[in-house]
Amino acid sequence: MRITIVKPGLLSTVQDLGRYHYLPQAVPISGAMDTLSARIANKAVGNPDDAAVIEFTQAGAEFTADTDLLIAYAGGGAILSANDQKLPAGRPCFIPAGTLVKLINDEAGIRTYIAVAAGWDVPEVLGSRSTFLTAGFGGLQGRPLKAGDVLSGCKTLSVINNRILNRLKGDKIQYANWSIERRAFFEATDKIIRVIPGHELGWFTGSSIAGFLSTPYAIAQRSNRMGYHLEGEAIHRTKNNELLSTAVMPGTIQVTGNGSMILLMADCQTTGGYPRIAQVAAVDLPLCAQLKPGDIIYFNAISRHDAEMLYIEREHDLQQLTIAIQSKFY
Amino acid sequence: MQATVIKITPAQIYFLNERSLTIELGKEISEANFLKVSLCDQLIHDHPFPGFITTIPAYISLTVVFDPVQVMGNDLIGNTCFEKVSAYLISLNPVATQPQKTASDTIVIPVCYGGNLGPDLDEVAGLHNISSSEVISLHTAAIYTVYMIGFVPGFAYLGGMNASLATPRKATPRAAVPAGSVGIAGLQTGVYPLATPGGWQIIGQTPLKMFDANRAEPSLLKAGDRIKFEAISLDEFNHIKTGD
Repeated sequence: MRITIVKPGLLSTVQDLGRYHYLPQAVPISGAMDTLSARIANKAVGNPDDAAVIEFTQAGAEFTADTDLLIAYAGGGAILSANDQKLPAGRPCFIPAGTLVKLINDEAGIRTYIAVAAGWDVPEVLGSRSTFLTAGFGGLQGRPLKAGDVLSGCKTLSVINNRILNRLKGDKIQYANWSIERRAFFEATDKIIRVIPGHELGWFTGSSIAGFLSTPYAIAQRSNRMGYHLEGEAIHRTKNNELLSTAVMPGTIQVTGNGSMILLMADCQTTGGYPRIAQVAAVDLPLCAQLKPGDIIYFNAISRHDAEMLYIEREHDLQQLTIAIQSKFY
Repeated sequence: MQATVIKITPAQIYFLNERSLTIELGKEISEANFLKVSLCDQLIHDHPFPGFITTIPAYISLTVVFDPVQVMGNDLIGNTCFEKVSAYLISLNPVATQPQKTASDTIVIPVCYGGNLGPDLDEVAGLHNISSSEVISLHTAAIYTVYMIGFVPGFAYLGGMNASLATPRKATPRAAVPAGSVGIAGLQTGVYPLATPGGWQIIGQTPLKMFDANRAEPSLLKAGDRIKFEAISLDEFNHIKTGD
């Protein structure tokens, strides 16, 4: 399966679930910002969760199907349209060769993930297919996709890839009558981000902590795959200790010298020297991944124990989804 | 070097996120604390647990990264990953370990000082009222310890610079500092592994690739390494660079 990029859109990169083994060498995790959507797209075509997907930013990208395709998409910010027919998210879609696929604007969210049967075929670098732009490696030649780029799916389809494909294959666009609903994973509001107290929480004044947990924060223009600057009530410190650089993770919320906050995301540095007020619960990081400049969020504190339980529950639910899909095809 | 006994206690451990925890082993940057981090790192690598992925050593902390699904599937004691991994780390028997590195492991980093490759060498010398060649001899005389790798892939935080070379950062950072540039900022010295913007005083450049994603071990340096800079000529620089 093969596509040619006609319009690359704002920022389109190949990503998987990230690169963990080189953290001690300061290689960031990278990977899909919204890992939940990447996993849903992969599951819908019968892939393992960690197959490579394309992460698109906002709408505007276009590509042609050079061959017949089995794809699925999930995320936010765009709806897929194939020969001007809208495709539903979270479902395997058969797209015949020659079809023009466009990402058209959708209000909610900013990042859309497209999976292809067997995963997009780019070389593994340091154990992952994720693009890390700063150092220029991984994904497609370490860079964002551009017009004219050709991307192929891996050659060897799994049994489940083939069964889904054979069910939908024909001479026209066709998609499954079932779907994986991303929104089923979240409460009604997606503007409340759950956080666990950070290790340096005690460095901040009580009123700042109260403000952090009760006032709105806006995602600033200066936001990218490395992190988001947050605009809102300033955070004041009770003491001006220096934090010695130590490991940070995507979801870590740092407070800079002038009292503003940075929420670290997928391409963040592996270590940091700013005190950490909170850590976003891993289950809510996919919500953060869909935030765009100007979006307003609130933070709500939960315990470390609850965050871990939510994580295990989420993993269990995702595991059940894979089993449910496989059972449809055996 | 004397053997140090490492025993991880509950009070040292804190939650970082659902797939990692940090062990804090001291309060300030010191050789003693650095040794604790190294030994703790070695202890965990010698006794990994099911689901262990890697560690991130820092000045006074060691972060342990794991796969939560695998950790939950093992029979360690506890209801959550944090509890299970903590319990495991605490249960590790204190062992008196010797650091494995010896002085003979010192890695030599060739550097061409001054000229176009080290545009700030004269400025640094001027600020300290010494000659450029004295800067070079002070910079090459020391044995440096790699305390941690951070900031960008392959960037080594080095300890051991002669304090008389301490120089403030440039008032205006450069938009692009070439990969391999050797700089001084305050009491720190280091090598830029990638071309990035930067405010350090650039005194030279190494022809070695500090980071190369195509190598099995992409970072030339690792926490715990001892390194030494060696002055080379521009000809030698070009020779090593092209032969690389």
